[in-house]
Amino acid sequence: MAVKLAHKPAEAGVDWEALVARRDALRLRKNALLTTLLVFTLLAVITYKGASTISWEFLTTPPREGMSAGGIGPMIRGSLLLMLGTFLLATPLGIFGGVCLAEYGDRSRIRRFMHASVAALAGTPPIVYGLFGLAIFVLKFQFGVSLLAGWCTLTLFSLPVIVLTTEAALKTVPEGIINGGLALGLSRWQTLWRLALPYAMPGIMTGVILSLGRAAGEAMPVLFTASIYYASTFPALSWESLRQPVANLPYYLAEGYRQPGVVPEHLIWGACLTLIVLVLLLNVGAIVIRTRARRRYL
Amino acid sequence: MIAAMTPTTTKTVIQTVDLSVAYNGKLALKAVNAQFYENTVTALIGPSGCGKSTLLRALNRLNDRIPDAVTQGKVLIDGKDIYARGVNLTRLRREVGMVFQKPNPFPMSIFENVALGPRLHYGLRGRALEEIVEDALRKAALWDEVKDDLKKKSGLALSGGQQQRLCLARMLAVQPRILLMDEPCSALNPISTQEIEELIVELGKQYTVIVVTHNLQQAARISQYTGFLM
Repeated sequence: MAVKLAHKPAEAGVDWEALVARRDALRLRKNALLTTLLVFTLLAVITYKGASTISWEFLTTPPREGMSAGGIGPMIRGSLLLMLGTFLLATPLGIFGGVCLAEYGDRSRIRRFMHASVAALAGTPPIVYGLFGLAIFVLKFQFGVSLLAGWCTLTLFSLPVIVLTTEAALKTVPEGIINGGLALGLSRWQTLWRLALPYAMPGIMTGVILSLGRAAGEAMPVLFTASIYYASTFPALSWESLRQPVANLPYYLAEGYRQPGVVPEHLIWGACLTLIVLVLLLNVGAIVIRTRARRRYL
Repeated sequence: MIAAMTPTTTKTVIQTVDLSVAYNGKLALKAVNAQFYENTVTALIGPSGCGKSTLLRALNRLNDRIPDAVTQGKVLIDGKDIYARGVNLTRLRREVGMVFQKPNPFPMSIFENVALGPRLHYGLRGRALEEIVEDALRKAALWDEVKDDLKKKSGLALSGGQQQRLCLARMLAVQPRILLMDEPCSALNPISTQEIEELIVELGKQYTVIVVTHNLQQAARISQYTGFLM
Protein backbone atom coordinates (compact mmCIF):
# COMPACT_ATOMS: atom_id res chain seq x y z
CA MET A 1 0.00 0.00 0.00
CA ALA A 2 2.88 2.33 0.70
CA VAL A 3 3.59 4.72 -2.13
CA LYS A 4 7.20 5.18 -3.14
CA LEU A 5 7.79 8.90 -3.25
CA ALA A 6 11.33 8.48 -4.49
CA HIS A 7 10.12 7.76 -8.00
CA LYS A 8 8.33 11.08 -8.29
CA PRO A 9 10.31 13.68 -10.23
CA ALA A 10 11.42 16.53 -7.99
CA GLU A 11 9.74 19.24 -10.06
CA ALA A 12 6.37 17.64 -9.52
CA GLY A 13 6.44 19.13 -6.04
CA VAL A 14 4.90 17.40 -3.05
CA ASP A 15 2.40 14.71 -3.98
CA TRP A 16 -0.10 15.29 -1.22
CA GLU A 17 -2.40 12.52 -2.29
CA ALA A 18 0.37 9.97 -2.05
CA LEU A 19 1.43 11.32 1.32
CA VAL A 20 -2.10 11.12 2.69
CA ALA A 21 -2.53 7.62 1.31
CA ARG A 22 0.70 6.59 2.95
CA ARG A 23 -0.28 8.12 6.24
CA ASP A 24 -3.65 6.34 6.17
CA ALA A 25 -2.02 3.05 5.31
CA LEU A 26 0.39 3.45 8.20
CA ARG A 27 -2.40 4.35 10.60
CA LEU A 28 -4.44 1.37 9.49
CA ARG A 29 -1.48 -0.91 9.97
CA LYS A 30 -0.74 0.57 13.37
CA ASN A 31 -4.33 0.05 14.55
CA ALA A 32 -4.48 -3.48 13.20
CA LEU A 33 -1.19 -4.23 14.90
CA LEU A 34 -2.41 -2.79 18.19
CA THR A 35 -5.61 -4.85 18.14
CA THR A 36 -3.77 -8.01 17.24
CA LEU A 37 -1.22 -7.30 19.94
CA LEU A 38 -3.98 -6.93 22.55
CA VAL A 39 -5.60 -10.20 21.57
CA PHE A 40 -2.29 -12.01 21.55
CA THR A 41 -1.29 -10.57 24.94
CA LEU A 42 -4.57 -11.86 26.34
CA LEU A 43 -4.04 -15.27 24.80
CA ALA A 44 -0.42 -15.33 25.94
CA VAL A 45 -1.30 -14.53 29.54
CA ILE A 46 -4.05 -17.14 29.67
CA THR A 47 -1.86 -19.72 27.99
CA TYR A 48 1.01 -18.94 30.35
CA LYS A 49 -1.21 -19.25 33.40
CA GLY A 50 -3.29 -22.16 32.22
CA ALA A 51 -1.06 -24.37 30.09
CA SER A 52 0.64 -26.10 33.01
CA THR A 53 -2.75 -27.23 34.32
CA ILE A 54 -3.87 -28.83 31.07
CA SER A 55 -3.44 -32.57 30.99
CA TRP A 56 -5.49 -35.50 29.80
CA GLU A 57 -6.56 -36.08 33.36
CA PHE A 58 -7.63 -32.46 33.80
CA LEU A 59 -9.78 -32.60 30.67
CA THR A 60 -11.43 -35.93 31.36
CA THR A 61 -11.92 -36.41 35.09
CA PRO A 62 -14.49 -34.78 37.39
CA PRO A 63 -13.50 -32.43 40.21
CA ARG A 64 -12.45 -34.00 43.51
CA GLU A 65 -12.28 -32.95 47.13
CA GLY A 66 -15.14 -30.47 47.08
CA MET A 67 -14.08 -28.85 43.77
CA SER A 68 -10.63 -28.03 45.08
CA ALA A 69 -8.80 -30.61 42.96
CA GLY A 70 -9.27 -32.92 39.97
CA GLY A 71 -10.39 -32.02 36.45
CA ILE A 72 -13.20 -30.33 34.58
CA GLY A 73 -14.49 -33.27 32.52
CA PRO A 74 -18.19 -32.81 33.38
CA MET A 75 -18.00 -29.10 32.53
CA ILE A 76 -16.53 -29.80 29.10
CA ARG A 77 -19.09 -32.50 28.45
CA GLY A 78 -21.90 -30.22 29.63
CA SER A 79 -20.75 -27.39 27.37
CA LEU A 80 -20.51 -29.75 24.40
CA LEU A 81 -23.99 -31.13 25.16
CA LEU A 82 -25.44 -27.63 25.40
CA MET A 83 -23.84 -26.68 22.09
CA LEU A 84 -24.92 -29.83 20.29
CA GLY A 85 -28.58 -29.36 21.20
CA THR A 86 -28.43 -25.65 20.44
CA PHE A 87 -26.87 -26.41 17.05
CA LEU A 88 -29.60 -28.92 16.19
CA LEU A 89 -32.42 -26.60 17.27
CA ALA A 90 -31.10 -23.22 16.18
CA THR A 91 -29.74 -24.11 12.73
CA PRO A 92 -33.00 -25.12 11.01
CA LEU A 93 -35.04 -22.46 12.83
CA GLY A 94 -32.54 -19.72 12.08
CA ILE A 95 -32.16 -20.64 8.41
CA PHE A 96 -35.94 -20.80 8.06
CA GLY A 97 -36.25 -17.36 9.62
CA GLY A 98 -33.55 -15.93 7.39
CA VAL A 99 -35.19 -17.39 4.28
CA CYS A 100 -38.52 -15.86 5.26
CA LEU A 101 -36.92 -12.47 5.79
CA ALA A 102 -34.94 -12.56 2.55
CA GLU A 103 -37.48 -14.10 0.19
CA TYR A 104 -40.90 -13.02 1.26
CA GLY A 105 -42.71 -9.71 1.40
CA ASP A 106 -39.65 -7.86 0.27
CA ARG A 107 -41.14 -4.41 0.41
CA SER A 108 -43.63 -4.79 3.20
CA ARG A 109 -43.49 -2.75 6.34
CA ILE A 110 -43.85 -5.94 8.37
CA ARG A 111 -40.64 -7.29 6.87
CA ARG A 112 -38.75 -4.12 7.75
CA PHE A 113 -40.18 -4.22 11.25
CA MET A 114 -39.16 -7.86 11.61
CA HIS A 115 -35.66 -7.14 10.40
CA ALA A 116 -35.24 -4.30 12.85
CA SER A 117 -36.57 -6.49 15.68
CA VAL A 118 -34.18 -9.34 14.93
CA ALA A 119 -31.28 -6.90 14.70
CA ALA A 120 -32.26 -5.50 18.08
CA LEU A 121 -32.47 -9.01 19.52
CA ALA A 122 -28.95 -9.72 18.24
CA GLY A 123 -27.74 -6.84 20.39
CA THR A 124 -29.76 -7.72 23.48
CA PRO A 125 -27.58 -8.46 26.54
CA PRO A 126 -27.23 -12.18 27.33
CA ILE A 127 -28.61 -11.73 30.84
CA VAL A 128 -31.97 -10.73 29.34
CA TYR A 129 -32.07 -14.09 27.55
CA GLY A 130 -31.17 -15.78 30.81
CA LEU A 131 -34.04 -14.13 32.68
CA PHE A 132 -36.44 -14.73 29.80
CA GLY A 133 -35.46 -18.41 29.76
CA LEU A 134 -35.97 -18.59 33.50
CA ALA A 135 -39.43 -17.05 33.28
CA ILE A 136 -40.65 -18.96 30.22
CA PHE A 137 -38.85 -22.31 29.96
CA VAL A 138 -37.87 -23.03 33.54
CA LEU A 139 -41.01 -21.73 35.29
CA LYS A 140 -43.85 -21.35 32.80
CA PHE A 141 -43.17 -24.53 30.80
CA GLN A 142 -41.92 -26.23 33.97
CA PHE A 143 -38.78 -27.59 32.33
CA GLY A 144 -36.99 -26.77 35.57
CA VAL A 145 -33.32 -25.80 35.63
CA SER A 146 -32.30 -28.32 33.03
CA LEU A 147 -30.43 -29.18 29.86
CA LEU A 148 -33.67 -28.76 27.94
CA ALA A 149 -34.28 -25.24 29.28
CA GLY A 150 -30.64 -24.44 28.49
CA TRP A 151 -31.05 -25.61 24.89
CA CYS A 152 -34.16 -23.50 24.44
CA THR A 153 -32.57 -20.40 25.96
CA LEU A 154 -29.30 -20.74 24.03
CA THR A 155 -31.30 -21.38 20.85
CA LEU A 156 -33.13 -18.08 21.33
CA PHE A 157 -29.79 -16.46 22.07
CA SER A 158 -28.17 -17.78 18.85
CA LEU A 159 -31.18 -17.32 16.56
CA PRO A 160 -30.89 -13.60 15.72
CA VAL A 161 -27.31 -13.91 14.46
CA ILE A 162 -28.16 -16.99 12.38
CA VAL A 163 -31.26 -15.30 10.94
CA LEU A 164 -29.33 -12.17 10.02
CA THR A 165 -26.37 -14.00 8.47
CA THR A 166 -28.72 -16.25 6.51
CA GLU A 167 -30.60 -13.23 5.21
CA ALA A 168 -27.35 -11.48 4.30
CA ALA A 169 -25.94 -14.60 2.63
CA LEU A 170 -29.10 -15.04 0.54
CA LYS A 171 -28.85 -11.42 -0.57
CA THR A 172 -25.42 -12.15 -2.06
CA VAL A 173 -26.85 -14.77 -4.44
CA PRO A 174 -26.41 -13.22 -7.91
CA GLU A 175 -29.59 -12.17 -9.66
CA GLY A 176 -28.39 -14.08 -12.73
CA ILE A 177 -28.58 -17.39 -10.89
CA ILE A 178 -32.12 -16.76 -9.66
CA ASN A 179 -33.26 -15.62 -13.10
CA GLY A 180 -31.52 -18.60 -14.67
CA GLY A 181 -33.41 -20.96 -12.41
CA LEU A 182 -36.78 -19.30 -12.99
CA ALA A 183 -36.19 -19.18 -16.76
CA LEU A 184 -35.60 -22.95 -16.67
CA GLY A 185 -39.10 -23.29 -15.24
CA LEU A 186 -38.03 -24.05 -11.67
CA SER A 187 -40.56 -22.97 -9.08
CA ARG A 188 -39.66 -20.32 -6.56
CA TRP A 189 -39.20 -23.03 -3.97
CA GLN A 190 -36.93 -25.12 -6.24
CA THR A 191 -34.88 -22.05 -7.11
CA LEU A 192 -34.42 -21.33 -3.44
CA TRP A 193 -33.72 -24.91 -2.40
CA ARG A 194 -31.56 -26.01 -5.35
CA LEU A 195 -29.74 -22.80 -6.24
CA ALA A 196 -29.92 -19.98 -3.71
CA LEU A 197 -29.43 -21.97 -0.50
CA PRO A 198 -26.47 -24.03 -1.76
CA TYR A 199 -24.84 -20.85 -3.01
CA ALA A 200 -25.40 -19.13 0.33
CA MET A 201 -24.57 -22.17 2.48
CA PRO A 202 -20.92 -21.33 3.27
CA GLY A 203 -22.00 -17.91 4.55
CA ILE A 204 -24.86 -19.43 6.50
CA MET A 205 -22.67 -22.09 8.12
CA THR A 206 -20.12 -19.44 9.04
CA GLY A 207 -22.87 -17.54 10.84
CA VAL A 208 -24.11 -20.68 12.57
CA ILE A 209 -20.67 -21.60 13.87
CA LEU A 210 -19.81 -18.08 14.96
CA SER A 211 -23.07 -17.73 16.88
CA LEU A 212 -22.49 -21.16 18.44
CA GLY A 213 -19.06 -20.01 19.55
CA ARG A 214 -20.67 -16.99 21.14
CA ALA A 215 -23.27 -19.17 22.84
CA ALA A 216 -20.60 -21.56 24.10
CA GLY A 217 -18.77 -18.79 25.91
CA GLU A 218 -21.71 -17.06 27.54
CA ALA A 219 -22.52 -17.79 31.17
CA MET A 220 -25.55 -15.53 31.46
CA PRO A 221 -28.12 -17.39 29.33
CA VAL A 222 -27.44 -20.65 31.16
CA LEU A 223 -26.96 -19.10 34.59
CA PHE A 224 -30.55 -19.56 35.77
CA THR A 225 -31.73 -22.05 33.19
CA ALA A 226 -29.37 -24.98 32.92
CA SER A 227 -26.37 -24.77 35.18
CA ILE A 228 -25.12 -26.70 38.13
CA TYR A 229 -21.86 -25.86 39.81
CA TYR A 230 -21.07 -28.81 41.97
CA ALA A 231 -20.46 -31.74 39.61
CA SER A 232 -18.25 -34.45 40.98
CA THR A 233 -19.42 -37.25 38.69
CA PHE A 234 -20.42 -37.89 35.11
CA PRO A 235 -24.16 -38.48 35.35
CA ALA A 236 -25.26 -41.18 32.88
CA LEU A 237 -27.04 -39.82 29.82
CA SER A 238 -30.67 -40.75 29.35
CA TRP A 239 -33.98 -39.08 28.60
CA GLU A 240 -33.96 -38.11 32.25
CA SER A 241 -30.83 -35.99 31.66
CA LEU A 242 -32.94 -33.59 29.61
CA ARG A 243 -34.66 -32.51 32.80
CA GLN A 244 -31.50 -32.27 34.85
CA PRO A 245 -29.08 -29.36 35.09
CA VAL A 246 -25.60 -29.67 33.58
CA ALA A 247 -22.23 -28.32 34.58
CA ASN A 248 -20.62 -26.15 31.93
CA LEU A 249 -17.43 -24.18 31.43
CA PRO A 250 -18.65 -20.56 31.54
CA TYR A 251 -20.69 -21.12 34.65
CA TYR A 252 -17.84 -23.01 36.31
CA LEU A 253 -15.57 -20.03 35.60
CA ALA A 254 -18.04 -17.46 36.90
CA GLU A 255 -18.96 -19.37 40.03
CA GLY A 256 -15.50 -20.76 40.74
CA TYR A 257 -14.04 -17.29 40.64
CA ARG A 258 -16.75 -15.93 42.93
CA GLN A 259 -15.86 -18.39 45.65
CA PRO A 260 -12.23 -17.61 46.36
CA GLY A 261 -10.22 -20.19 48.12
CA VAL A 262 -12.44 -23.09 47.16
CA VAL A 263 -11.31 -23.58 43.59
CA PRO A 264 -7.58 -23.06 43.30
CA GLU A 265 -6.48 -20.45 40.80
CA HIS A 266 -4.63 -22.79 38.48
CA LEU A 267 -7.83 -24.79 37.87
CA ILE A 268 -9.65 -21.59 36.86
CA TRP A 269 -6.86 -20.64 34.43
CA GLY A 270 -6.88 -24.12 32.98
CA ALA A 271 -10.65 -24.04 32.45
CA CYS A 272 -10.33 -20.55 30.98
CA LEU A 273 -7.76 -21.74 28.45
CA THR A 274 -9.91 -24.77 27.62
CA LEU A 275 -12.93 -22.57 26.89
CA ILE A 276 -10.93 -20.19 24.72
CA VAL A 277 -9.40 -23.04 22.73
CA LEU A 278 -12.89 -24.53 22.26
CA VAL A 279 -14.27 -21.26 20.88
CA LEU A 280 -11.13 -20.71 18.77
CA LEU A 281 -11.51 -24.17 17.28
CA LEU A 282 -15.09 -23.34 16.34
CA ASN A 283 -13.98 -20.13 14.64
CA VAL A 284 -11.18 -21.88 12.79
CA GLY A 285 -13.78 -24.43 11.70
CA ALA A 286 -15.91 -21.61 10.31
CA ILE A 287 -12.97 -20.24 8.31
CA VAL A 288 -12.07 -23.66 6.95
CA ILE A 289 -15.66 -24.28 5.83
CA ARG A 290 -15.77 -20.92 4.10
CA THR A 291 -12.49 -21.23 2.21
CA ARG A 292 -13.11 -24.83 1.19
CA ALA A 293 -16.58 -23.99 -0.10
CA ARG A 294 -15.21 -21.03 -2.03
CA ARG A 295 -12.63 -23.23 -3.67
CA ARG A 296 -15.26 -25.79 -4.61
CA TYR A 297 -17.31 -23.24 -6.48
CA LEU A 298 -14.51 -22.26 -8.82
CA MET B 1 -43.21 -1.81 -33.99
CA ILE B 2 -43.23 -3.50 -37.33
CA ALA B 3 -42.29 -7.12 -37.29
CA ALA B 4 -42.01 -9.47 -40.20
CA MET B 5 -42.42 -7.13 -43.10
CA THR B 6 -42.25 -9.97 -45.58
CA PRO B 7 -45.55 -11.76 -46.04
CA THR B 8 -45.16 -15.41 -45.31
CA THR B 9 -46.92 -18.70 -45.22
CA THR B 10 -44.97 -19.92 -42.18
CA LYS B 11 -46.98 -20.81 -39.11
CA THR B 12 -47.20 -18.15 -36.42
CA VAL B 13 -46.13 -19.48 -33.03
CA ILE B 14 -46.18 -16.33 -30.94
CA GLN B 15 -48.42 -13.36 -31.42
CA THR B 16 -48.54 -10.33 -29.17
CA VAL B 17 -51.73 -8.31 -29.07
CA ASP B 18 -51.47 -4.71 -27.84
CA LEU B 19 -48.78 -5.79 -25.41
CA SER B 20 -47.77 -3.03 -22.98
CA VAL B 21 -45.46 -3.28 -20.00
CA ALA B 22 -44.97 -0.58 -17.39
CA TYR B 23 -42.37 -0.49 -14.63
CA ASN B 24 -43.29 1.70 -11.70
CA GLY B 25 -45.97 3.40 -13.77
CA LYS B 26 -43.54 4.18 -16.60
CA LEU B 27 -44.38 2.63 -19.93
CA ALA B 28 -41.49 0.50 -21.20
CA LEU B 29 -43.39 -1.16 -23.99
CA LYS B 30 -46.39 0.36 -25.70
CA ALA B 31 -49.04 -1.62 -27.56
CA VAL B 32 -46.78 -4.02 -29.42
CA ASN B 33 -48.36 -6.22 -32.04
CA ALA B 34 -45.86 -8.69 -33.35
CA GLN B 35 -45.67 -12.18 -34.76
CA PHE B 36 -42.95 -14.75 -34.53
CA TYR B 37 -42.79 -17.71 -36.86
CA GLU B 38 -42.08 -21.36 -36.34
CA ASN B 39 -38.52 -22.60 -36.88
CA THR B 40 -37.34 -19.14 -37.76
CA VAL B 41 -34.86 -16.74 -36.24
CA THR B 42 -36.30 -13.31 -35.53
CA ALA B 43 -33.96 -10.56 -34.39
CA LEU B 44 -35.15 -7.64 -32.29
CA ILE B 45 -33.16 -4.46 -32.72
CA GLY B 46 -33.51 -0.88 -31.58
CA PRO B 47 -31.79 1.74 -29.49
CA SER B 48 -30.97 0.88 -25.90
CA GLY B 49 -33.82 1.39 -23.47
CA CYS B 50 -36.43 0.87 -26.17
CA GLY B 51 -37.91 -2.22 -24.55
CA LYS B 52 -36.30 -5.07 -26.46
CA SER B 53 -35.43 -6.99 -23.32
CA THR B 54 -38.77 -6.10 -21.77
CA LEU B 55 -40.56 -7.60 -24.75
CA LEU B 56 -38.44 -10.73 -24.49
CA ARG B 57 -39.09 -11.08 -20.77
CA ALA B 58 -42.80 -10.63 -21.38
CA LEU B 59 -42.77 -13.76 -23.55
CA ASN B 60 -41.78 -16.10 -20.71
CA ARG B 61 -43.37 -13.95 -18.00
CA LEU B 62 -40.05 -13.29 -16.30
CA ASN B 63 -41.30 -9.75 -15.70
CA ASP B 64 -43.65 -11.29 -13.12
CA ARG B 65 -40.68 -11.34 -10.78
CA ILE B 66 -40.30 -7.56 -10.84
CA PRO B 67 -42.65 -6.22 -8.15
CA ASP B 68 -43.68 -3.02 -9.95
CA ALA B 69 -44.08 -4.43 -13.44
CA VAL B 70 -47.59 -4.29 -14.91
CA THR B 71 -48.38 -6.11 -18.14
CA GLN B 72 -51.38 -5.42 -20.36
CA GLY B 73 -52.53 -6.98 -23.58
CA LYS B 74 -52.04 -10.55 -24.68
CA VAL B 75 -49.27 -12.89 -25.65
CA LEU B 76 -50.65 -15.79 -27.63
CA ILE B 77 -48.54 -18.91 -27.95
CA ASP B 78 -50.25 -21.35 -30.31
CA GLY B 79 -53.31 -19.16 -29.89
CA LYS B 80 -53.41 -19.41 -26.10
CA ASP B 81 -52.87 -16.34 -23.93
CA ILE B 82 -50.02 -16.95 -21.52
CA TYR B 83 -51.30 -14.15 -19.31
CA ALA B 84 -54.67 -15.84 -18.86
CA ARG B 85 -55.67 -17.07 -15.43
CA GLY B 86 -54.41 -20.44 -14.34
CA VAL B 87 -51.45 -20.60 -16.71
CA ASN B 88 -48.77 -22.86 -15.29
CA LEU B 89 -45.54 -20.84 -15.22
CA THR B 90 -43.36 -23.92 -14.96
CA ARG B 91 -44.91 -25.44 -18.07
CA LEU B 92 -44.68 -22.11 -19.90
CA ARG B 93 -41.00 -21.64 -19.14
CA ARG B 94 -40.28 -25.24 -20.07
CA GLU B 95 -41.69 -24.43 -23.51
CA VAL B 96 -40.03 -21.04 -23.72
CA GLY B 97 -36.35 -21.19 -22.78
CA MET B 98 -34.13 -18.19 -22.25
CA VAL B 99 -30.46 -17.26 -22.22
CA PHE B 100 -29.23 -13.98 -20.81
CA GLN B 101 -26.84 -11.24 -21.73
CA LYS B 102 -24.31 -12.30 -19.14
CA PRO B 103 -23.63 -16.04 -19.03
CA ASN B 104 -25.04 -17.31 -15.75
CA PRO B 105 -23.94 -20.89 -15.16
CA PHE B 106 -24.89 -22.30 -11.79
CA PRO B 107 -22.04 -22.88 -9.31
CA MET B 108 -21.98 -26.63 -9.85
CA SER B 109 -20.44 -29.13 -12.24
CA ILE B 110 -21.04 -28.89 -15.98
CA PHE B 111 -23.12 -32.04 -15.85
CA GLU B 112 -25.25 -30.77 -12.96
CA ASN B 113 -25.84 -27.47 -14.77
CA VAL B 114 -27.47 -29.26 -17.68
CA ALA B 115 -29.03 -32.10 -15.69
CA LEU B 116 -30.86 -29.94 -13.15
CA GLY B 117 -33.78 -29.02 -15.43
CA PRO B 118 -34.61 -32.46 -16.87
CA ARG B 119 -34.12 -34.10 -13.49
CA LEU B 120 -36.57 -31.78 -11.75
CA HIS B 121 -39.08 -31.51 -14.60
CA TYR B 122 -39.13 -35.01 -15.99
CA GLY B 123 -37.75 -37.03 -13.07
CA LEU B 124 -34.99 -38.43 -15.27
CA ARG B 125 -32.01 -40.23 -13.75
CA GLY B 126 -29.17 -42.54 -14.69
CA ARG B 127 -28.68 -43.43 -18.33
CA ALA B 128 -31.65 -41.44 -19.64
CA LEU B 129 -30.42 -38.32 -17.89
CA GLU B 130 -26.88 -38.75 -19.19
CA GLU B 131 -28.18 -39.12 -22.72
CA ILE B 132 -30.24 -35.96 -22.53
CA VAL B 133 -27.26 -34.04 -21.10
CA GLU B 134 -24.97 -35.28 -23.87
CA ASP B 135 -27.56 -34.46 -26.50
CA ALA B 136 -28.03 -30.92 -25.16
CA LEU B 137 -24.28 -30.33 -24.94
CA ARG B 138 -23.83 -31.59 -28.51
CA LYS B 139 -26.57 -29.27 -29.76
CA ALA B 140 -24.79 -26.40 -28.04
CA ALA B 141 -21.48 -27.45 -29.67
CA LEU B 142 -19.84 -27.85 -26.30
CA TRP B 143 -19.69 -31.62 -25.89
CA ASP B 144 -16.23 -32.20 -27.38
CA GLU B 145 -14.67 -29.53 -25.20
CA VAL B 146 -16.12 -30.70 -21.89
CA LYS B 147 -16.84 -34.42 -22.18
CA ASP B 148 -13.65 -35.41 -20.30
CA ASP B 149 -14.39 -33.65 -17.04
CA LEU B 150 -18.12 -33.31 -17.25
CA LYS B 151 -18.81 -34.12 -13.62
CA LYS B 152 -15.65 -32.72 -12.09
CA LYS B 153 -15.27 -29.30 -13.63
CA SER B 154 -17.40 -26.41 -12.39
CA GLY B 155 -19.47 -24.54 -14.93
CA LEU B 156 -17.83 -21.38 -13.67
CA ALA B 157 -14.39 -22.64 -14.65
CA LEU B 158 -15.27 -22.41 -18.37
CA SER B 159 -14.41 -19.47 -20.60
CA GLY B 160 -17.05 -16.82 -21.31
CA GLY B 161 -18.05 -18.28 -24.67
CA GLN B 162 -18.14 -21.79 -23.26
CA GLN B 163 -20.27 -20.56 -20.34
CA GLN B 164 -22.78 -19.08 -22.75
CA ARG B 165 -22.93 -22.35 -24.70
CA LEU B 166 -23.39 -24.17 -21.39
CA CYS B 167 -26.38 -21.92 -20.71
CA LEU B 168 -27.70 -22.77 -24.16
CA ALA B 169 -27.30 -26.48 -23.40
CA ARG B 170 -29.01 -26.04 -20.04
CA MET B 171 -31.94 -24.41 -21.80
CA LEU B 172 -32.12 -27.06 -24.56
CA ALA B 173 -32.07 -29.90 -22.01
CA VAL B 174 -35.59 -29.08 -20.80
CA GLN B 175 -36.85 -29.52 -24.39
CA PRO B 176 -38.23 -26.07 -25.20
CA ARG B 177 -39.79 -25.11 -28.55
CA ILE B 178 -39.12 -21.42 -28.33
CA LEU B 179 -35.73 -19.92 -27.50
CA LEU B 180 -35.37 -16.37 -26.20
CA MET B 181 -31.90 -14.84 -26.27
CA ASP B 182 -31.18 -11.49 -24.69
CA GLU B 183 -28.05 -10.10 -26.37
CA PRO B 184 -26.35 -13.46 -26.00
CA CYS B 185 -23.05 -12.28 -27.49
CA SER B 186 -22.63 -8.86 -25.95
CA ALA B 187 -20.34 -10.12 -23.20
CA LEU B 188 -18.25 -12.28 -25.53
CA ASN B 189 -15.16 -11.82 -27.69
CA PRO B 190 -15.42 -11.88 -31.53
CA ILE B 191 -14.47 -15.55 -31.86
CA SER B 192 -16.96 -16.71 -29.24
CA THR B 193 -19.54 -14.41 -30.83
CA GLN B 194 -19.05 -16.08 -34.17
CA GLU B 195 -19.46 -19.52 -32.59
CA ILE B 196 -22.70 -18.51 -30.89
CA GLU B 197 -24.00 -16.91 -34.07
CA GLU B 198 -23.38 -20.11 -36.02
CA LEU B 199 -25.22 -21.99 -33.31
CA ILE B 200 -28.19 -19.65 -33.50
CA VAL B 201 -28.47 -20.18 -37.26
CA GLU B 202 -28.32 -23.93 -36.69
CA LEU B 203 -30.89 -23.87 -33.87
CA GLY B 204 -33.21 -21.72 -36.00
CA LYS B 205 -33.90 -24.77 -38.15
CA GLN B 206 -35.53 -26.65 -35.30
CA TYR B 207 -36.64 -23.96 -32.88
CA THR B 208 -38.49 -20.68 -32.92
CA VAL B 209 -35.70 -18.31 -31.94
CA ILE B 210 -36.01 -14.68 -30.88
CA VAL B 211 -32.73 -12.83 -30.42
CA VAL B 212 -32.34 -9.35 -28.99
CA THR B 213 -29.29 -7.61 -30.39
CA HIS B 214 -28.03 -4.08 -30.73
CA ASN B 215 -25.90 -5.03 -33.67
CA LEU B 216 -27.47 -4.56 -37.12
CA GLN B 217 -24.85 -6.69 -38.83
CA GLN B 218 -25.50 -9.48 -36.38
CA ALA B 219 -29.22 -9.27 -37.04
CA ALA B 220 -28.52 -9.51 -40.76
CA ARG B 221 -26.21 -12.48 -40.30
CA ILE B 222 -28.43 -14.63 -38.11
CA SER B 223 -32.09 -13.79 -38.69
CA GLN B 224 -34.72 -14.29 -41.34
CA TYR B 225 -36.96 -11.64 -39.81
CA THR B 226 -36.16 -8.52 -37.89
CA GLY B 227 -38.32 -6.52 -35.56
CA PHE B 228 -37.37 -2.92 -34.96
CA LEU B 229 -38.40 -1.26 -31.72
CA MET B 230 -38.08 2.36 -30.86
